[in-house]
Amino acid sequence: MPPPATYNIAMVSDFFFPQPGGVESHIYQLSTKLRDRGHKVIIITHAYKGRTGVRYLTNGLKVYHVPFFVLYRSASFPTVFSFFPIFRNIVLRERIDIVHGHASLSSLCHEAILHARTMGLRTVYTDHSLFGFADAASIFANKLLKFSLSDVDHVICVSHTCKENTVLRASLDPLMVSVIPNAVVAENFKPLDPPPPPTDPYLQSQQQHHSRHNSSSRYHPPPSRPLGPHDTITIVVISRLFYNKGTDLLTAAIPRILENHPHTRFIIAGDGPKAIDLEQMIEQNVLQDRVEMLGPIRHEEVRDVMVRGHIYLHPSLTEAFGTVIVEAASCGLYVVCTQVGGIPEVLPSHMTVFAKPEEDDLVAATGRAIAALRANKVRTELFHEQVKSMYSWTNVATRTERVYNGISGAISEAEFYGYDAANGAGSWSATRGRSGVQSFALIDRLKRYYGCGIWAGKLFCLCVIVDYLIFLFLELWFPRDSIDICPDWPRKQRKTDGKDDG
Amino acid sequence: MAPPSGLHQSAIPSDFETPFPPLVRSSTVPVGLKSHRADPSHLAPEDAYTSFSPPRRPGAFDSGGNGSGTDTRPRRLIRKDASRSRSRRRKRFQKLLWVKQSYPDNYTDQATFLENLQRNPRVRPYDFWPLVADTTVIVQHVCSVIIFIVCFVGIFQERVSPVSVVGWGSFATFLGWLLWDWWVAQETQGGSADDDARARMMRGGRAYSEYRPPRRQDSSGIDQPMLNASTVSISSTSNLPSAASSTTNLLQEHAPPRSTQLHGSHTGNSGLLAPTHAHSRSVSSINSVATQASTANSPTTTTTTTTRLGPDGPEHIANPQPTGRNSRAYVRVSTIKSAILIYFTLLGLSPILKSLTRSTSSDSIWAMSFWLLAINIFFFDYSGSSSAAVGGSGGSGSGTHSKQLPVASLSTNAALMASTVLASRLPSTGQVFSLTLFSIEVFGLFPVFRQYARHRSWRYHALLTVLLVLGAGGGVGMILGDERGWPWKKGLLGMVVGCLIAALAMGGCSWWLIGLQKYKNEIYGPWDPARPIIISRRHWDDE
Repeated sequence: MPPPATYNIAMVSDFFFPQPGGVESHIYQLSTKLRDRGHKVIIITHAYKGRTGVRYLTNGLKVYHVPFFVLYRSASFPTVFSFFPIFRNIVLRERIDIVHGHASLSSLCHEAILHARTMGLRTVYTDHSLFGFADAASIFANKLLKFSLSDVDHVICVSHTCKENTVLRASLDPLMVSVIPNAVVAENFKPLDPPPPPTDPYLQSQQQHHSRHNSSSRYHPPPSRPLGPHDTITIVVISRLFYNKGTDLLTAAIPRILENHPHTRFIIAGDGPKAIDLEQMIEQNVLQDRVEMLGPIRHEEVRDVMVRGHIYLHPSLTEAFGTVIVEAASCGLYVVCTQVGGIPEVLPSHMTVFAKPEEDDLVAATGRAIAALRANKVRTELFHEQVKSMYSWTNVATRTERVYNGISGAISEAEFYGYDAANGAGSWSATRGRSGVQSFALIDRLKRYYGCGIWAGKLFCLCVIVDYLIFLFLELWFPRDSIDICPDWPRKQRKTDGKDDG
Repeated sequence: MAPPSGLHQSAIPSDFETPFPPLVRSSTVPVGLKSHRADPSHLAPEDAYTSFSPPRRPGAFDSGGNGSGTDTRPRRLIRKDASRSRSRRRKRFQKLLWVKQSYPDNYTDQATFLENLQRNPRVRPYDFWPLVADTTVIVQHVCSVIIFIVCFVGIFQERVSPVSVVGWGSFATFLGWLLWDWWVAQETQGGSADDDARARMMRGGRAYSEYRPPRRQDSSGIDQPMLNASTVSISSTSNLPSAASSTTNLLQEHAPPRSTQLHGSHTGNSGLLAPTHAHSRSVSSINSVATQASTANSPTTTTTTTTRLGPDGPEHIANPQPTGRNSRAYVRVSTIKSAILIYFTLLGLSPILKSLTRSTSSDSIWAMSFWLLAINIFFFDYSGSSSAAVGGSGGSGSGTHSKQLPVASLSTNAALMASTVLASRLPSTGQVFSLTLFSIEVFGLFPVFRQYARHRSWRYHALLTVLLVLGAGGGVGMILGDERGWPWKKGLLGMVVGCLIAALAMGGCSWWLIGLQKYKNEIYGPWDPARPIIISRRHWDDE
């Protein structure tokens, strides 16, 4: 087996710390784990308030905060070409091989993919969200996505639903799209009481030994104290209170749930425009002592809120992945969620109760969950270990690395795309972006962009040509030789094989 | 690196680091695809909805996804991993993220990929004739705008006397008002029981037992004794507040005190008339629909009432119901007052309007009025939402009306502004006054009447459409014709041409729209935001 290749990777997105959010933590965790695997990762984002220039995060993760005008909710203003000079400078300085963009609403990411292809780099794009096809805004966004993804090497989606959506939106070859889910840092989402250690010290050490080695699933914590019929069951809701998070459903369902089940209470965390509706509902139904509204909380506090409850209710109307329900399950909560988007793929059925996005069904599903908990049918104390084994960032990094290997030709095309090369390779390479054979020649790129639409195709071709001219100009004006190569942070030793430390 | 669990360590290397043996095509491509696709191993998105789409395994996701999870799952997986090389091809791909699958991440399962895609699920095909019938609304409005322009041109070129224009206009308005009034009375008479029951149902929520069947059918006949005068007068008077308020809204001098006063009296009226409470509700809902079209009935109707048909008033007061007498009389007096006020305000404003745009060149005025009338036509409320308020299903109507309001009022305001700037081109005060009054009749009152006529009876609607088309065509013909010649001949020609154009436009546009339907391609799938179904529609309207 040849020595595994390591890459210099640039993660590009508008969304990064200090702003909190799912995409941000995804980029951070993935970068950290990729660094652990011996790659060099830098992050390019726009300047935040009080966060400019170059920063180093833990583990030598380097972040470039590029000065950019921020348009809306920290998405930068889309100027197609203005990012190119500084982007080229960073890429040459850091000797980047692969540009990995994140989030479909980030114009920085799309511009970076375009420029990277012009410069002859491999590109990967990760989609974190779902879009419809109906309204005008979506049509526009989809056209732009098509532009950006016409020439991308590979796309990563966080769920199978997301993959279908992205394939349709950008007219991609499904084989070019990998599904790599998000993950959670299970250590940060532990249930409240770790089961008391067994009294026998020998058994204890035995068990620790086991859990350190690869059979932790054999270790079952004893069931926690069973719930009596009159014990209070706490239902936790943590979400931004927006329409598409299903706050309307929640507002309608809470009074009925509380009416049907006397010994229950709600804890609601999060803020948003729909918070006022919830407060009105609480006042109308005089539920102040049974519904607690915490307001906005930070991500670090999520676990502390979650462990106060028994059931996590997630009434969202659309969701690409739903990291929060994984976090809830990891905290040992029984999850009640609407069956929308990618949510049904995320958790096994013994951890969840699914509801249709209807008021009646949500009430009924919550009732089923409460009944199951009261009957002690659900072993929530096992959830943490199970979730830990399902989702981990190390796993995500490994799978992402396979994508990098595939697009840069480290693993063969036939193996990566799963077809017999003797038969299909010739016919594919001409029409589509393909790893081993994807051409950086301008004319081939133009062919790909031209197919985007009658007018849009020509417009996109124009953009690509202008981009190429800018590239030539930059090569002339700021020659590569005059750009300093920055010294690398000492790389971690690549773990040669996962089996060794197992 | 410290992997979180031992299970992981055993799972990762085997699943992800060892290279996958190459997939053979037969494992990823169904046989059926090879025959007809040039690029067989490429699953295009069209595959999902074309007729030769790959075979589906119905319910593969449900059965695989929801029933399989147990606590013992991870251990089973480990055992699978040991014999992975053998069982790789046999284990079915599942559309799940938490299962560690022995497929590469970019594996596309032909059976489940895009299985939940729906294409055009809610498309309702159009029929030709209903579509043509629906276009009459637009034709009516365009024709009334054309008639207004024709009248302006006539006045401007001094070919038509402004007094005759406004006289005939007012007469027609009065006739229309009488008809409308009669319809409303009939409607409320028949609908009151129905509405009453519905109102109680909405209030109490448990009034199904008390629900009486609507008596509309027996009251709709002509043999029904002449409508109760009190309802007529109530409906006419209760019509006034919004009318007054909207007209005063146009002429912003006296608006706030009177409109609030009238609204107050209106509510007092409906409160006093406890038994017939529902009909005033329905009438007020009509008003709420018609406000944006400025139910400016009041200025003209009441001017006509006061100036020409004075005896009409006492007839109403002759046999009022004892409960509502005082308030109705009060409303009537205030109506007359407001009508006189509006009339004289208009009269007083006319000299100001006349010189309003003297410093502006006529070209700008023509361009401006063109754009304003275009705005009027494009933003006009063609939906005919009065049906919701008048006929039935009034419960859900209010929410939608409040949403349509801004655009529709934009339309009316644009038209009235156009008429104002056009009137300012006219040389004499009398002409300005006539044109402004006429524009209020055409753009304020006539749409309400048209809407109601359409709701009331299709025959009236068609008749009205024909009349309008003939009028517009004839008017345009006469205006374009030579002044010296025989104008009626040109008018007749114009009518014929107008009818032809209208028929062609209606038929052609309908046919075109139907022809365009084949390009319709709506895609729905699990990625679309779900539409929540909430029983208590409390938080629904404000979304």
